[in-house]
Amino acid sequence: MAISLAESVHIGFSDIWTRKVRSIVTIFGIILGVMSIMVVLAIINGMNQSTMAWMMERGGLSRIDVQRNWGYDFSKGGKAEFDLKEINFIRSQIPEAAAFNPKVGAGEMELTQRGKSYNADLSGVMPDMTLVDEWQPEKGRFIKHIDIEQNNNVVVLGSTAARELFGSRDPIGKEVGVRIETQSYTSTGEFESTLSTHQLTVIGVMSEKFMEGNGGFGGNPLEYRNRQAFVPISTMINKLSPALKITELEIKAKDTETAPALRRKVEELVLNLKQGKRLFMVASATEQMQQMKQSSMIFSSIFVMIAVISLLVGGIVIMNIMLASIKERTREIGVRLAIGARRRDIFVQFLVQTVMITSLGGVLGIVSGYAILDLVAGFLDIKVAASMQMIWVALMVSVGVGLIFGVFPAVRAGNLDPVLALREE
Amino acid sequence: MDVIRLSRLVKDYSLGKIKVRALCGLDLSITKGEFVAIMGPSGSGKSTLMHIIGCLDRPTEGEYYLDEQLVSAVPKSELAQIRNKKIGFVFQSFNLLPHLNIQKNVELPLMYSGDSLRKRTQRAIEILASVGLSDRLKHKPSELSGGQRQRVAIARAIVNNPSILLADEPTGNLDSQSGGDILEIFNRLHKDGNTVIMVTHDPAVAARADRIIRIMDGAIVDGNIAG
Repeated sequence: MAISLAESVHIGFSDIWTRKVRSIVTIFGIILGVMSIMVVLAIINGMNQSTMAWMMERGGLSRIDVQRNWGYDFSKGGKAEFDLKEINFIRSQIPEAAAFNPKVGAGEMELTQRGKSYNADLSGVMPDMTLVDEWQPEKGRFIKHIDIEQNNNVVVLGSTAARELFGSRDPIGKEVGVRIETQSYTSTGEFESTLSTHQLTVIGVMSEKFMEGNGGFGGNPLEYRNRQAFVPISTMINKLSPALKITELEIKAKDTETAPALRRKVEELVLNLKQGKRLFMVASATEQMQQMKQSSMIFSSIFVMIAVISLLVGGIVIMNIMLASIKERTREIGVRLAIGARRRDIFVQFLVQTVMITSLGGVLGIVSGYAILDLVAGFLDIKVAASMQMIWVALMVSVGVGLIFGVFPAVRAGNLDPVLALREE
Repeated sequence: MDVIRLSRLVKDYSLGKIKVRALCGLDLSITKGEFVAIMGPSGSGKSTLMHIIGCLDRPTEGEYYLDEQLVSAVPKSELAQIRNKKIGFVFQSFNLLPHLNIQKNVELPLMYSGDSLRKRTQRAIEILASVGLSDRLKHKPSELSGGQRQRVAIARAIVNNPSILLADEPTGNLDSQSGGDILEIFNRLHKDGNTVIMVTHDPAVAARADRIIRIMDGAIVDGNIAG
């Protein structure tokens, strides 16, 4: 005998439609609440995904990096450098490491080839770089141990460097010149600058690195890798630029599980080598990832809490407006009761109406959230990731707000006395 | 057969600490198919009587039989169904829902009975035709004259074939011409076998009834015996 839910929804639609402006004003808080939940979660989610993709591109989560500690006060003495003896010692202490690559960065160097020149980011590395970075040459081969032992004059080019220097020609076996300026002070205290050119044989070209553009005008954020060139670390130190020191160490653990333990061990080793001075920062990708996940969790929780507060405020506004609306429609309720509506019918009518209003707010919030995300992604050029799950959560939350804040007004409406309600002007 | 039988009906109201007795042991019987007018000064208890007969309120004491059913014993939560099936209300101020068209207004009691949309529509169109409003189905109440609105209200009251038609000053807000038309409709419904109970101040209106019941101070002073 009761009226069906479909009937209540139908009444709800016509009620909302007759009071369009009021309904829209009513749901504004819900729209904003849902929208901000959407936007914040999508941005944080997008940032997490970008970072994850970035880390995978850098060789995955089992990677450990030893780099200059920018937080250290170097005026207290000490340099963030390793010599070959220290490197060999570290390597001998961590046989469990899957790969080990000390690095000497020379910075931008001019490479020349038949009158063409290209400024490449030149580094001295070890064969393990391909394992640490999970990056292989596309043509030719990478640096081998024999190249290290013999200080061979060989170079592996990034794809952009190869293209700039050789165009469509095959660079393998060809020579490139590298001009190196060495600056030093002589024993008499005079400034001296010597320019020397070395010939290097191209033995390989790395595969092209590419990642979906974000954070850089829609370009390829990994392009800097394609502009690199690699020589054996021994060649770099012994022949090209004796003044350069090893400033970076890239290590790879066997898997992500053993990475944190290995990081602690390396940290210990480095600290002991440097007499307890924290010249270097030792970071493992998996731990960084965990930290990032944790802090993004905290971030999302805080933002979601703020959004929930705005939803609660929205809910209270809706409750108020529903109470006012019911007061205004007392006579209508009286008439409905007189012609046979049961208390439950009236209760359901108003509860359904409130839930419909908040759900509408939820839908509009999701739609405007998407619009905002589009703008944000476009203007700031960052990755955003809205998921189906987020849409469900947003919808559930708005329905929930409707149920919670709709009950009290609906109970009020259902409990009206028909005689008094009919007397209301 | 009595469609309504009231015996020793008492209704008390409490206004704060004061108890007011609106009906004091009232007895009344109305036969099926009768046209009865209830008259009485304001404060006489006739509104209270109307509310109890209309199952909008329950008596404090006494018994009320409607169609042989002891409705004074029915819990408040079930009175809605009795109002829906057995009672058709016509109010002085029409009480149509302003945002629904007149067809939807007339369908409303059928909706609360749980009838299908098709049956509702069919029945509403049929009933509105019988009160001469076939050409106004999609109009809002505000687009109609007072007389037309009251005809819609009558259509709504009879759409569910109630046992009694309860009209509270149905011509009170109408000019004499449309008031006369409305009374004609009540006369016709009465001739068709409907039981009509009408509250009125107007002796000319009351004169159309088979019997006039006069109430004073919560009791019937005249007209208690069915004519």
